Amino acid sequence: MRKSITLYGMTFSLPMAIWQVMFFLAPLVFLIALSFWSVKNFRMEPDFNPDNWTRVLGRAVFWQAYLRTVILSAVAAMVASVLAFPCSYGIAFKLSPTARRWAIFMMVIPFFTSYLVRVYSWQIFLSDNGIINAALARVGLGPFPMLNSDFGVMVGYLTLCFPLVVLLQLFSLIFVDRTLIEAAHNLQCGRLRTVFEVVMPSAKVGLVIAALFCFILTFGDFVSPLYLGGGDPPTLSILITDTTKSGQQWPRAAVIALTMIATLLCVAFAAVSYAYRERGR
Amino acid sequence: MSTEALVVFDGVIKKFGQFLAVERVDFEIRKGEFLAIMGSSGCGKTTTLRMLAGLEAPTEGEIRLAGKRINDLPTWQRDTPMVWQSLALFPFLTVRENVEFSLRMRKIEKAERQRRVDEWLERMQITEFADRNVAHLSGGQRQRVALARSLVTEPEILLLDEPLSALDAHLKVRMQTVLSNLQRELGITFVYVTHSQSEAFSMADRVVIMSRGRIEQIGNPQEIYRAPRTKFVAEFLGSSNIFSGQVTTAGNGMIRIATPAGEFDAVSGAAKALGKGDKATFVVSDDRIQLSNQRPETGNALRASVVGEEFVGATAVVHLENPAGGLELKAQKSHEELEHLDLSPGAQVWLSWRPEAAHILPGE
Repeated sequence: MRKSITLYGMTFSLPMAIWQVMFFLAPLVFLIALSFWSVKNFRMEPDFNPDNWTRVLGRAVFWQAYLRTVILSAVAAMVASVLAFPCSYGIAFKLSPTARRWAIFMMVIPFFTSYLVRVYSWQIFLSDNGIINAALARVGLGPFPMLNSDFGVMVGYLTLCFPLVVLLQLFSLIFVDRTLIEAAHNLQCGRLRTVFEVVMPSAKVGLVIAALFCFILTFGDFVSPLYLGGGDPPTLSILITDTTKSGQQWPRAAVIALTMIATLLCVAFAAVSYAYRERGR
Repeated sequence: MSTEALVVFDGVIKKFGQFLAVERVDFEIRKGEFLAIMGSSGCGKTTTLRMLAGLEAPTEGEIRLAGKRINDLPTWQRDTPMVWQSLALFPFLTVRENVEFSLRMRKIEKAERQRRVDEWLERMQITEFADRNVAHLSGGQRQRVALARSLVTEPEILLLDEPLSALDAHLKVRMQTVLSNLQRELGITFVYVTHSQSEAFSMADRVVIMSRGRIEQIGNPQEIYRAPRTKFVAEFLGSSNIFSGQVTTAGNGMIRIATPAGEFDAVSGAAKALGKGDKATFVVSDDRIQLSNQRPETGNALRASVVGEEFVGATAVVHLENPAGGLELKAQKSHEELEHLDLSPGAQVWLSWRPEAAHILPGE
């Protein structure tokens, strides 16, 4: 009896475990091994050479790119969260259930089009003689350089993340206990203040997870920094492509990738433990 | 307790779309009283309370608090704290922070907040849990936190929406005592919504009984119990000896009513002046009914067959029926009084009662 239950449970958990091993653990182990290989005459050789690590981590370019990537992603996570909140709040609390279903559907639609296509179309809008500057010129403004700037990168990052951040926030806001909101009002907490005092703490898990997803997705993205940000100064993902292109330096690219993974693991762990932290004993 | 009105409901109607939740209520809540609003679910009692709290706006009519119209005053500008059925404690705050919440909203300075929170934690005997997460408390402790949170600002009125319904029977009785004592000590007006007759009758100074959006009766528990106004109230309170019929003769303070089960005499008492041919309904409380093997010589009598016997501590409740009159009857007697009777199911016995024991329902 006991054994059959175990087998039953295994049947369902096994695919997940296999997936984890095949697509996360095995590549990770390979990546770690790769980071110690040597490159001789543009050919990689298995080795145990810590040189890649010291070379990459010893370069100022790497740390500049690292800092830039972290800041860009952190800003993107913040901007997306702040812009998405009124949107998801409105959908969760002000719309009828039918209208809410439509809004959710609309949030899914952007994912139908490839991210790359959407970024290219932003170029048409943002370039110096693009649609936005042409419109501004009509009222005697501009042109404003928007392409190949951090602003452009941020536009791209929001294109990537905004609908997802809204959806993730929405799914936690929908489950906020309405009685708590009434209770706060009843205890003399005004409408706006209730949002900060009750709604946001109640939906904390969803809000933090949404911001975390935005950070993770933008941290590894290279489309926006390259096509809307101009790629210079580079982010870590651009640095990886540059490194692989220059003399088959896959091992050094692996070092960069591993530091990125380590960073994401730390950020994700910190965010999740913050999200689930309880007050009091 | 005075008779001065703190809250007045003046022709208040509440509609949700087409649904009429409160059909028109007129009543007042007196300063310092413990008022219970009682009724089965969907009777409009919670809506009535929520309108007082400012969580719903009346469709028609006027609600006045201390003489001022409050219909359009948002809940956060009223001083009408409420204790929810679910308690609605903030799970992301500690016990202390929950109690402190409304003081913080009123911008009371920190030292003063501290002092008042400490005082209320002490008063509700939850000081030791001050830094706990509310999710880790027992039902009774959570109840005390909810009370402290609402009372810490020392409001004039406290609204309670079935706050004890989630507790087990033992704890319920204990919390009833806590609530009654608290209300007496503070002199705050309590408005308590419940579907439980025992809660309402054991704590309240006055009880409002509602049914289908209307008030059926208002009065103190003894009054309501002894003299229900309508058939609904009588049935709601569990009386089953309800007789309906037509007046055949009336006069000299006596009245004779013909029902399908026979003709019975009653004292007209405070009932409205009933004349011959009028419809009338009366109840006889189950402890005022006598049971015997033979028809008694005087008084009202009715033959019925035994359905069963229910043991209630020192007394027993005998359930009977009279199919001809379509009646379900009950008599509550001590065990000695029942010794000489055959109470096996189906056995025939005589029920009798004095005319004074019949209460004519004035609202029917």
